Amino acid sequence: MIRLSGRFRSALIIGLQGIRARKTRTLLSMVSLFLGVLAVVVVQAGASIAERALLADMELQRGIDGTKVMGMAPQPRVSEIIMDTVPGRDDAVAVVGVSAIIGEPGVRPVNPNASPFDEIGFYGMPMVCDATGNCREQTPAEAGPEGQAIEVRLTALTGDIRQFKPFRPKSGQWLDFGSVPSMAPRLVLNEEAAKGFERYRVPAEMRVPGASANMTPQLIGVVDDGDYQPRAYVRMDEMANWIPATKLVDPSMGEMNVLMTGDTPVEQVLTSKLKAINAEPYVELINSRKDQEKELALMRLIFLSMAGLVLLIGVAGILNVGLATVGERVEEFALRRAVGTPRALLAGIVLAETLITGLLTAALAIGVSAAALKGVVVLAGNSEPFLQGVVFPWDAGVAGVIAGLIAGVLGGFVPALRAAGIPIATVMRA
Amino acid sequence: MTALIELNGITKVLKGQEQPRTILDGVGLSVHPGESLAIVGRSGSGKSTLLSVLGLFDRPDQGSYLLDGTEISRLPERRAAKLRSSHFGFVFQRFFLLKHLTAAQNVAMALVNGQGWLPRRQRRAKVMAALEEVGIAHLAKNRPAKMSGGEQQRVAIARALVRQPRILLADEPTGALDTETGTLVIDALQGVTARGCALILVTHDRDHAARMGRILHLNEGVLAEQKVAA
Repeated sequence: MIRLSGRFRSALIIGLQGIRARKTRTLLSMVSLFLGVLAVVVVQAGASIAERALLADMELQRGIDGTKVMGMAPQPRVSEIIMDTVPGRDDAVAVVGVSAIIGEPGVRPVNPNASPFDEIGFYGMPMVCDATGNCREQTPAEAGPEGQAIEVRLTALTGDIRQFKPFRPKSGQWLDFGSVPSMAPRLVLNEEAAKGFERYRVPAEMRVPGASANMTPQLIGVVDDGDYQPRAYVRMDEMANWIPATKLVDPSMGEMNVLMTGDTPVEQVLTSKLKAINAEPYVELINSRKDQEKELALMRLIFLSMAGLVLLIGVAGILNVGLATVGERVEEFALRRAVGTPRALLAGIVLAETLITGLLTAALAIGVSAAALKGVVVLAGNSEPFLQGVVFPWDAGVAGVIAGLIAGVLGGFVPALRAAGIPIATVMRA
Repeated sequence: MTALIELNGITKVLKGQEQPRTILDGVGLSVHPGESLAIVGRSGSGKSTLLSVLGLFDRPDQGSYLLDGTEISRLPERRAAKLRSSHFGFVFQRFFLLKHLTAAQNVAMALVNGQGWLPRRQRRAKVMAALEEVGIAHLAKNRPAKMSGGEQQRVAIARALVRQPRILLADEPTGALDTETGTLVIDALQGVTARGCALILVTHDRDHAARMGRILHLNEGVLAEQKVAA
């Protein structure tokens, strides 16, 4: 058990007696301070929640912090090396993206180039390249007549990508990498692709450049992957039934990445193999928190400065009440000095009162903020995804307590000095 | 017997006015344990100032102040506060009781002063003993508003006695009381001399002064012995 000094205990006892004797004044001090502390708590909580939401969105798109992303140009030989190295591993997942059209065969999709459905044409028409490498956009005539078909980015995976990108399930189920591959590739759509399937009635026929035949896909679930482009996820081995992995490449618009843990030997093996064929990969270590640190710190600083100003107004209030109270208690403080109370303890008594007031106010502000946040989560949690599972951040509570303590010290400092300076002799002649 | 208090040539000048005014002019005084003495004089003669110097509320401008043979006239405030707590008890004309505290809490105020720490049980025992000594233990839970003037002054005396001081300084303690109640208060104050505590009483009341062992007259800052009790 911590043993407090006699002086500290005396300050606490007398401070609490003072608060009990002047409840209305204490309440007035708390009212003046409440908004300031509340502002600090709300800003800190808001910043923490916003930071969490921002990082959560970045995790969906880029991967969780610590993930290594090896990117390379989509080429058949590169694909061959990846398929020799990555499948079957728990610490790495290969991600190969190609274009796929689901719907009527031989028609132009309603969203060429897998444009978002609310911004059709945003990505223009698909590119065509000649033998010399010169590329240009397809004309609508070349792309065929418009029909009931949707273009998506088809993302083939060698394993469960969610260990690196924590997609949020929306409906149905995720890909089961432990089951026998199906001849009818099972697709999990992102929300944008699901929007297209809700909006357009399209036949279940999927064409992928280079496939031996059109496939009949099964739509098994929807996830939030943070992507604005319609995307469908599929097991790599289910695609292999229709198209060899080495042909599952799209040199113009495709993507080819390997996501891996930080300490896997896959990076070194792949790098060596790729260098041998002059395909230099680039590796990025995901550290979104650090990348965003400056922006987040600036945002937090701006809001905390505003909250600090509101807190200063509260401090002025507590200072005003404190000075008035000391003025009223001149005789009490002089008497306390007469019975041997040191000046430092008199200052301590006043500071104890303002600190207790600050802490009570902080507790109140934290309680109100936590209750309000819980209320918002209950009322709006279903419509606002970033609110789901949000709890009151502990650092906002700490910030509130610190704000209360700072306000207590700042508001009580001058009254404490004044109390300590009251001369006994003058008062005793009263 | 060694003097408990020995003042020699104590001088106090009131500054900050057009003409500096000498309040105490070379005051000399010896006080022994268990002794009672009264200081009388006209208003403004310097009685309260002398009490302030004796109680370490104020410092003299000149002279020496020996307590148990130790010079204390230039003590730093921290050590003066410690001495006030351990050696002195104070009773004032106005009782200076805190109205939001009970009688027991008002008495305990002298124990909760940052000079050492007593556990609650010991504190309570000392408070009750002090209230018992002045005959108002039954009023321990009463607040000042529910007590008479005499009872309030006895609470103030209990507060002065609770640390068992060696010197009790009383500044016109009966000034706000009727004659009968004042006599009871003086009885209570005189009781402390039996256990070796010196009592220094500042009063305008000749009858109360006459009950003290010595009477000192302060006139224009000069202290003179008026009579020695038989």
